[in-house]
Amino acid sequence: MDLTPRPVTDAESRAQIQRRRWVPMIIVALALVAGGVVVSQFLTSAIDYYCNVDEVGVRDGCVGQRRIRVQGIVVENSLKQSNGVTEFSLVFHDKTLRVRYQGDPGGVFQECIPVVAHGRVVSGVFDSDRIEVKHTNQYVEKNKTRFDEATKETAACSQLPG
Amino acid sequence: MTTTQGTATPTTQKLGIATAIALIFLVLSGLIFSAEDVVQGSTVRMMYVHVPSIWVAYLAFGFTALCSAVYVSNRSRSLIWDRFAGASAEIGVLFVAISLVTGSLWGRLTWGTFWVWDARLTSTAFLFITYIGYLAVRRLGGTFSQRARRSAIMALLAVLEIPLVHFSVNLWRTLHQKASIADPNAKVQLDGFMLFTLFWGLISFSMLFAWLLIHRQRLMALEDAVQDQGLDRAIQERRTEAGR
Repeated sequence: MDLTPRPVTDAESRAQIQRRRWVPMIIVALALVAGGVVVSQFLTSAIDYYCNVDEVGVRDGCVGQRRIRVQGIVVENSLKQSNGVTEFSLVFHDKTLRVRYQGDPGGVFQECIPVVAHGRVVSGVFDSDRIEVKHTNQYVEKNKTRFDEATKETAACSQLPG
Repeated sequence: MTTTQGTATPTTQKLGIATAIALIFLVLSGLIFSAEDVVQGSTVRMMYVHVPSIWVAYLAFGFTALCSAVYVSNRSRSLIWDRFAGASAEIGVLFVAISLVTGSLWGRLTWGTFWVWDARLTSTAFLFITYIGYLAVRRLGGTFSQRARRSAIMALLAVLEIPLVHFSVNLWRTLHQKASIADPNAKVQLDGFMLFTLFWGLISFSMLFAWLLIHRQRLMALEDAVQDQGLDRAIQERRTEAGR
């Protein structure tokens, strides 16, 4: 019995077989390229040193006018917004740094929230062109305090002489 | 007359109904019963889809590796383990995609940006691409056992990325926050009903994973059977020709 594969004569079937063979190979190749792009993007973005506020001007890589990323918490009552410029102070381990940013940072940006600012130190002020807001891993119910207060009041009421 | 046979059994039907009920309760709990976050407001509700999605992805890829290990180590080389591995990886890819999309939307609303190349996001994207590659490798052709062997090796290597993704927030300084419930200090940092909703999400998504996995594995078995039938038919044709 001859078991040699027969040549496919039907043009449509032939095209289908070709497609079935090539598509996975193309996807594997694209996945390899995409993996390379992802890693290179990560490494490129990591070129900017990631510094805490207390490390600016102290730690190697966080000194001078080079472009860095600075992490800290927005100081309470330090936020000023005028003429499209947002100014605030960042604090970390008792060290503060004044930040100037052109525009509105967006996200849940507010005082007392941790942020990462991208930019460089110019004349003692951090001139930022990108702000990313960090949110902590703590999730607190919005009306929790009101609920606690109400519970306390209810408890106090129950002790009143009837 | 031909009869159509589905992939459902009374047990999977019950599991499907239970999963649907669990998901409906998750929607109600996530959107109505649970409170807003004091900082993020309603945006926090994203968490009830985002975290369970990546959990299912970890579970799925872990299961893929386990089935691959069983296939490689078992002498019988039963293809059921290969099909379970493939089905699980497909579901995992789907849920990583959901996690990346919901994470990106959540990031836009809280961080102020859709994407940053930080360690957690980059490693998750890399995980997604790796398993897209795994699924493509499964379709490269050859016999069922060639497919199973080739993909088993890849699955056993790819699963090593999961600890890297999970602990990336501890290994590097990232914009992504650290774990809330899988914290090494085991300090739960989610208020009351938020924690319950999140756990409910993990349970209901895990049930969905189990239901999808069983059905997809059965569908794969049917696909393999169809392929086998084609081969059997071709051999039969040759035999008939030879007999003439």
